[in-house]
Amino acid sequence: MYEYEGEDVFVIDSHLHLWDATEENIVHEGGEQFIQCFYDYHTAFTPEEKQWSLEEYRKYGADRMKEDLFGNAAVDMGIFQPTYLTDFYDEGFNTAEQNAELAEEYPERFVLNGTFDPRDGEEGLEYLEELNDRYDLQGVKLYTAEWRGDSKGWRLDSEESFKFLEKCAELGIRNIHPHKGPTIRPLNRDAFDVADVDDAATSFPELNFVVEHVGLPRLDDFCWIAAQEPNVYGGLAVAAPMAVHRPRKFGEIMGELLFWLGEDRLLFGSDYALWNPDWLVDVVMNAELTDEQRDEYGVELDLETKKKIMGENAAELYDIDIEAKKEQFKSDDVTEEFGLAEHYGGSSTAPADD
Amino acid sequence: MSADSLDGDDGEAVSETRVRERLDRVTDPELDTSIVDLEYIDSIRIDGDEVHVVFTLPTAWCSPAFAWMMATDARDEVESLPGVSRATVELREHMHEAEINRGVNERLSFGEAFPDADGSVEPVRAELDEKARLSRQHDATGALLDAGLDADQIVGLTPSNVESDGDRARVWLRDGDLAVTVDADPLDRYLEKASATGLLDDDHPELFRTPEGDPIDPDSFELVRHRTRAAGVNMSGQGSVCDALHDARQAEDRPPLSSL
Repeated sequence: MYEYEGEDVFVIDSHLHLWDATEENIVHEGGEQFIQCFYDYHTAFTPEEKQWSLEEYRKYGADRMKEDLFGNAAVDMGIFQPTYLTDFYDEGFNTAEQNAELAEEYPERFVLNGTFDPRDGEEGLEYLEELNDRYDLQGVKLYTAEWRGDSKGWRLDSEESFKFLEKCAELGIRNIHPHKGPTIRPLNRDAFDVADVDDAATSFPELNFVVEHVGLPRLDDFCWIAAQEPNVYGGLAVAAPMAVHRPRKFGEIMGELLFWLGEDRLLFGSDYALWNPDWLVDVVMNAELTDEQRDEYGVELDLETKKKIMGENAAELYDIDIEAKKEQFKSDDVTEEFGLAEHYGGSSTAPADD
Repeated sequence: MSADSLDGDDGEAVSETRVRERLDRVTDPELDTSIVDLEYIDSIRIDGDEVHVVFTLPTAWCSPAFAWMMATDARDEVESLPGVSRATVELREHMHEAEINRGVNERLSFGEAFPDADGSVEPVRAELDEKARLSRQHDATGALLDAGLDADQIVGLTPSNVESDGDRARVWLRDGDLAVTVDADPLDRYLEKASATGLLDDDHPELFRTPEGDPIDPDSFELVRHRTRAAGVNMSGQGSVCDALHDARQAEDRPPLSSL
């Protein structure tokens, strides 16, 4: 467990991948461009001494991932968010099945999300049910910019999409994570536009929409929608690592998010292996707003707020009982393997329980 | 008058400096910042009355529509320079460099260059111009607030209330009895985008608007200020992302892009 000035901070990294971008797995030039684009982001927002080589980055495997998450106790739990891209990658880039390798080995530590693609029609609905049967889904990651045959994307507010959202509601899959970030296709306006979240969120008040990458580069549209839709949340993947080299800009973005959404609707995510929680958790925990930003936005990024963002808000969405987890993690497999018992042993300054 | 302020209409030979000055007028539409300031320009080659501009964007995945806008704007700006008969551009290290370079240099439309694109480039440009307008409105209204105007006065301003000489601007308050003098830059920049987005010749006389283009109710002035602030933070935030990507891409030890 991460410790900040003597206080425990339970960290749920809400955006993880176990991907395969090896050359053998790439079947479309888009696949190579995709991993190279990721690598640009990795090097742009990672401290120099923590950067990986492109070869390491293509495929790191379950063991390394485990070490990065738990080796220095940066993360307590993680949520896998799949990204299929099966037109680019033979076996998929990072499918639920691939992520399951780690998630099923340590079910107490991971939440495994599924996905759907409305362009798959009936077969897609069956696949969603199949994933739900196999993994008891609580959430899905959606990639509206994904290429499929001649199609260069889809909209969350389309009739076809609504059928899948209805299915999610029916199956009890409450957390919908649409990726709204950088774009890839020629004139892919819809892919980076967050407008389609608005109608979907209004139409499905029983579902939570966690907009990954907080709509960047459409942060203002995202904030405006989220201010009106109480079931819209912000996933901080991509925004968080700006705290490394662009701390002032990170403060401004957090100022906007806290101003429009408040402290209960923001979720930390590293987007591993885009960035590594191994160092990122520490950077975000130590980030501060400037006095000027505090005045401008009238918000605080204090320890209580950070504890919510780093774990409590995700716990709320995914029904995770943090206190019960702390108890369980005193002696689970990950704790044994990485010698983490003392992290979950309770604070040494706590009064004796008598 | 200094050479910098001349518009090139004096028969002077085309120089790299002059080409660069023209290119400085081209913005990355997503960031509302000059492509020269963003250091996208790799090289400029002048061959008599022909100019060739080579540029690289921060990522190979930069939207082709944005790349297209910058490439065509660069071509057109350089070609508007006296003494230049033809300008060609060369985008490098982009996923769609072949389509863009061919399309821009052969004067094709975006639709001809990208037959599978699902629309024209103009709505994308309009959307980004609108973002730039909002961000610039935030700066302009901020300058007016700093100068002592209140919400009622600001929402009531019309374009005819503003007189700018490019350096200082006089803002006449409604009754025309009183002028406040402010730095012209934020107002000029706003007017440029207000014009580009068609606000100066629509049905409303008001200079400043909501993101939807309506006149601003004084009671929602604060809310509109917050929304325009967010538009600015978004643009500069995206600017930081692009800037960091650009630095990463230019790093000496960066492995070369695959030639797949």
